[in-house]
Amino acid sequence: MKLNLILFSLLIIFALVKINAHHLYRVNHHALEIEKQKTIELKDEQNQLLIEESSKSGNGRISEYARNKLKMNPPEKKQKKLIK
Amino acid sequence: MRSKIKKNHEFFELSKFRRRFTLLVLLTLFCILFSRAFFLQGMQKDFLQQEGFERSNRNIELYAYRGKIYDRNNQILAASETVRSITLEPNRVEFKKGDKKKLANLLEMKIQTLNKKLKIKRNHIYLKRKVDPKIASKILALKIPGISSEKDYRRTYPDQEISAHVVGYAGNDGNGLEGVEYKKNDLLSGTHGYKKILIDARRRVVENLSEVNVPIDGKDVHLTIDKRLQHIAFQSLKKTIDDSEAISGSAILIDSKTGEILTMVNYPSYNPNKRMRKRTFVRNRVVTDMFEPGSTMKPISIAAALEKKVVNVNTKIDTGNGFYKVGRTLVTDTKPHGIITVKEILQTSSNIGVTKIAEKLSKKELWQTYSNFGIGNLTGLNFPGESKGIIRDYKKWRDRDHYSVSYGYSVSTTIAQLARAYTPFANKGEIKNLRLFKNDPIKIGQRVMSIETTKAVLKMMESVTKEGGTATQAAIPGYRVAGKTGTSRQFIEGKGYGAPGERKYNASFVGIAPISNPKFIMAIVIEDPTKGSNYGGVVAGPVFRKVVAEALKIYSIPQDGIEILDRADEDEKKEI
Repeated sequence: MKLNLILFSLLIIFALVKINAHHLYRVNHHALEIEKQKTIELKDEQNQLLIEESSKSGNGRISEYARNKLKMNPPEKKQKKLIK
Repeated sequence: MRSKIKKNHEFFELSKFRRRFTLLVLLTLFCILFSRAFFLQGMQKDFLQQEGFERSNRNIELYAYRGKIYDRNNQILAASETVRSITLEPNRVEFKKGDKKKLANLLEMKIQTLNKKLKIKRNHIYLKRKVDPKIASKILALKIPGISSEKDYRRTYPDQEISAHVVGYAGNDGNGLEGVEYKKNDLLSGTHGYKKILIDARRRVVENLSEVNVPIDGKDVHLTIDKRLQHIAFQSLKKTIDDSEAISGSAILIDSKTGEILTMVNYPSYNPNKRMRKRTFVRNRVVTDMFEPGSTMKPISIAAALEKKVVNVNTKIDTGNGFYKVGRTLVTDTKPHGIITVKEILQTSSNIGVTKIAEKLSKKELWQTYSNFGIGNLTGLNFPGESKGIIRDYKKWRDRDHYSVSYGYSVSTTIAQLARAYTPFANKGEIKNLRLFKNDPIKIGQRVMSIETTKAVLKMMESVTKEGGTATQAAIPGYRVAGKTGTSRQFIEGKGYGAPGERKYNASFVGIAPISNPKFIMAIVIEDPTKGSNYGGVVAGPVFRKVVAEALKIYSIPQDGIEILDRADEDEKKEI
């Protein structure tokens, strides 16, 4: 009778441990999925920043900015002097 | 005590009728439950399981990023950016007053088109794909039931129309349709993955139900293109075409030592970020379009004669009064040059002079030289739609072809082929294959001419950019530049070369700089310049000067003068 009770208790305990382990697995898996999602979002953001950097550092944009806003114009032929 | 218990027992004892009635009720309830259980688990099992799976199981596609395309300095030429696709569930959609108009405006869609989409009888449709994330968030802020957004990716080209012909573009499905995007599609694409997941009531992913098929991202592609020079070449070409009111133009700049392509531009161009593209502007005309190269072939013809030792640099040839009849063909010069040396023939671009030199060579010798210089052969690029050029077998040449080929008619090349054909002059007689991908192995050049001959031709070509030459506008102060101009008439199907006044020309120039240690070869062709001069030296020469002068600065190539001074210093030291 006693042995049966012990075994029954053990069975209950192991069942609860199993349920808890499975629950913890699911919680951790969910946390991992969130991290994975963050990785993808960061990767997307990195791509976006690289594209923006490439667009904004484009020679055309710099040249336009220099000419129009900074009034930097190349010297005319008369203004050039070749030093030998 | 006993009697008391008995009494209690007697007190709870039901009558026979009640017992039977309770049993019947319990049995009936059990039957109902059993039949319901049987109905759900036995008869509706598949349906319910399906419903359950649909609520808790998801098949998720794992996106594989398409590889990026970089220039030689790791500047992005093409990459994928995140966008949103606006989706609609027509059954659920409900508009408040004014929402429909706001939505149509945000989607840049006519309200009639939106209404048509709303009438589609499907559970899920795309209202608009690849929408800017900012606009998508404005749409979602309207909080219209049944309208949501999905993550999507769009290919973006920061260089826009400048590198459009090299990079090409990819379609909505992400597959390359033109240029490098098409050529390297397999490498760039990667493989999408997928996984089957279990979600709980709070829509959290709690378990993977099957083995995860991991996505494999596409590989990046590194080109030999230099974005800085690409910009300069494009702007310079655009200005020339606009100023000369030409139809189009193409240019290619290569590293003469390695065959690497530094710039490859065409104008007019197209913006690969926009979907509307005119078919004519999409072709990379540097490698697809053939033209008769005209006088830019003369250095090769003269090199053939020097190699066979039928003439030398100082051999004098009588070009007469500018008219020379060969059989039934009349060869003309722009002006009479009289008796001139081989060097002067190249400097003044005399057709008669080159014809008389070609007369001293057999058809086979000429054909062999052109073929060795890559005329009629692929450049090694294997770019989509690349033309081989046309040079007929010498056995099929008519007498007229023997002479006209020597000054660049009866033969067709691409501008890329022409640039490659000048690599032997810059590499002591070795021809180099063109390269566009940095990871491609460098192939050893193939010797096609002796060092002496190529040196002599290079020196002769230097006179072209000096006073008295046809391309003084291609000269770069501080550097020694060699080159050859070409002004060839266009052959129009059914009309031939056209009557005077109706003719169309291709103005071209191929140049090498600096001569002391050649680094750059640039070939330019301008189609049908109508305003001002149509000569290659005048139209295409300045493009060469502007682009190569910048390239020399960017790559810190020492000026020829400085090198000479250094050598003079060394000589002085030796004398001391």
